[in-house]
Amino acid sequence: MPRRLLCLYLSDTSAQVKARLLPWCHRYSPLVADDGCGGIVLDITGCAHLFGGEEALLSDIQSRIRRAGHRVRGAIADTLGAAWALARYSRQVIASGSELPQALNPLPVEALRLPEEVTRALRRVGLSTIAAFQKVGRQALVTRFGSGILLRLDQAFGKAEETITPYRRHPPYSARRMLAEPVATTSAVEYILHDLLQEICARLEKEHLGARRLDLDCYRIDGTVAVCTISTSKPVRSVKHLIRLFSEKLDGIDAGFGIETFILSVQNIDRFDPSQLTLPQFDPHSLPDSTVLDELIDRIGVRLGFQHVARMRICESLLPEYSVEFRSVSAGEMPSALWPEYRIRPVYWVDPPVHIEVATIHPGGGPVQFRLRGDTHRVVKAEGPERLTPEWWRLQSLHWESRDYYRIEDDRGCRFWIYREVRLQRSLSRWFLRGHLP
Amino acid sequence: MRIAPNPKVDGLREKISTLEGTPRRLAHTVSVCGLIDEALPGRGLPLGCVHEVKGHPASAIAFAGLLSARIPPKGAIFFIEPARSFYPLGLLPFSIDLQHWVHVRARREQDLVWTVLEALRCPQVHAVLAALRAADLTFSRRLQLAAESSGSTGFLFGNMASAITRWRVSPVRNSGWSLELLYCRGGQPGAWQVTWRNGQIEPVAKPAQRELPAERALAG
Repeated sequence: MPRRLLCLYLSDTSAQVKARLLPWCHRYSPLVADDGCGGIVLDITGCAHLFGGEEALLSDIQSRIRRAGHRVRGAIADTLGAAWALARYSRQVIASGSELPQALNPLPVEALRLPEEVTRALRRVGLSTIAAFQKVGRQALVTRFGSGILLRLDQAFGKAEETITPYRRHPPYSARRMLAEPVATTSAVEYILHDLLQEICARLEKEHLGARRLDLDCYRIDGTVAVCTISTSKPVRSVKHLIRLFSEKLDGIDAGFGIETFILSVQNIDRFDPSQLTLPQFDPHSLPDSTVLDELIDRIGVRLGFQHVARMRICESLLPEYSVEFRSVSAGEMPSALWPEYRIRPVYWVDPPVHIEVATIHPGGGPVQFRLRGDTHRVVKAEGPERLTPEWWRLQSLHWESRDYYRIEDDRGCRFWIYREVRLQRSLSRWFLRGHLP
Repeated sequence: MRIAPNPKVDGLREKISTLEGTPRRLAHTVSVCGLIDEALPGRGLPLGCVHEVKGHPASAIAFAGLLSARIPPKGAIFFIEPARSFYPLGLLPFSIDLQHWVHVRARREQDLVWTVLEALRCPQVHAVLAALRAADLTFSRRLQLAAESSGSTGFLFGNMASAITRWRVSPVRNSGWSLELLYCRGGQPGAWQVTWRNGQIEPVAKPAQRELPAERALAG
């Protein structure tokens, strides 16, 4: 099957217009590119029949762009060069394989996308049409005008390969629905979304894959696009789960005058074997339900952001700031380290540490009394010091020499975790409250 | 003072408690400690409902963490708070398993409330600890219904207009707690002086009221 390319010639080639039209053109084809010479090119190979043939597609895309207020002319051919030329210089706008020389030959040399000085030079020697041009020997053309001229000629006639670079790579897992009548209600959007998800999830299931991030692109009738994105903490392919995640976001979509095309695409994909476990402790009996928890975590993550939903992991560091990692549920699991039981830590963490004034019996000794927010606490019991020194590989801890941690109990029974920070200049040692013990 | 037993009244009581779902609630309990269990109607803390735990924040978290570690695991324990102040290493002496825990930080109050409700509704969450500021009668009733529907247990560190039990945990000297059961539906309120050792709550032999003046005299 030959490649079919549609080239659009726009009178207004500003970046702003292109930025609006490029994503919009995805409703016709998954492969859309900026042709680099002031137009847009769509690879419509195998797409035309969805719109009732090439003529119908061409008139549809043109009339829609014109309705949006832009002047446009399009053409369809087997090569980018030919489509580009036909869109600008020919009466005939659709040409296939055998008709190509006939369609291109009468066109002026400007239709070959050559630099201006080259076309001017060609015209000066009387070579004003492509047909005239081809009668001259190839070798003679190269010696006078450089090899670029032959490349453009061959590209137009399909003798040389020309690749187009899509402005956005369309993911392989996507589904689309085009509607006869635009919709604007949330329930209608949900119905279509359900349909799209079913299509995608069935494919994912067959291939043992799961989605991590999904985009729903909604094409409004005025040519603008609304995008709705969700992500999950683990690969997912359950329609019910995904629809619940989307339903949080669907209210935020502004349908405008109505949405006529929906494209759902999987932007991030992961392996998802059917027997995936969520927590190692699960006994096999509760397996079929184990997704309920994942669904809850995803819903919370979509609403609050996954950085705020964390599992806690013990790290191999004695410094209290680094001994616990709050690791986002979407970052995957990491094994936890073992914690030495005799090192007692607070339950309630004070961050940043609060500066306190502490009285000691002798300099460098344990605390006897301290002031916190205006209250004086008499220390009845103190255990410590537990001396921690900075870990040399951490930059943040370079400005202090050691920290002496004490567990103390005041006369009212409250238990605190405080430390004295010894700075490199000895005179700067200060006391801080780091946490509350149970 | 106890009213003399009357079979008619007892029959009505039973009927009301069935309507309220009390027998179902009391079917699943966890033991707090031998002495305190006697004050609770099902001889233990009922599961699948919402408890208010107040007092010193560190002690309240530790008490709720200790109890939630005793609940038969179903999946996860959620800790939900507006800003990160929970430090899980402090709970390790209360024999908790960190692998079950999920920490959620919800800055806005409406997000926090939503998360607590969603977590309580999930049948694979066996406990929810949340630093909820306050809950009015309607909302605490919704929380209670959510917990009943899924069987998960909520420990909320804030003022609940309606809760099955209401506790106050305050630290007292010599590494202990003063544990007050301020309210308990169908049970006897009370106060106990306890300590904890190896994840077990143990009552202190001497009552709190007599010990404190003696200690003060010694210290003075």
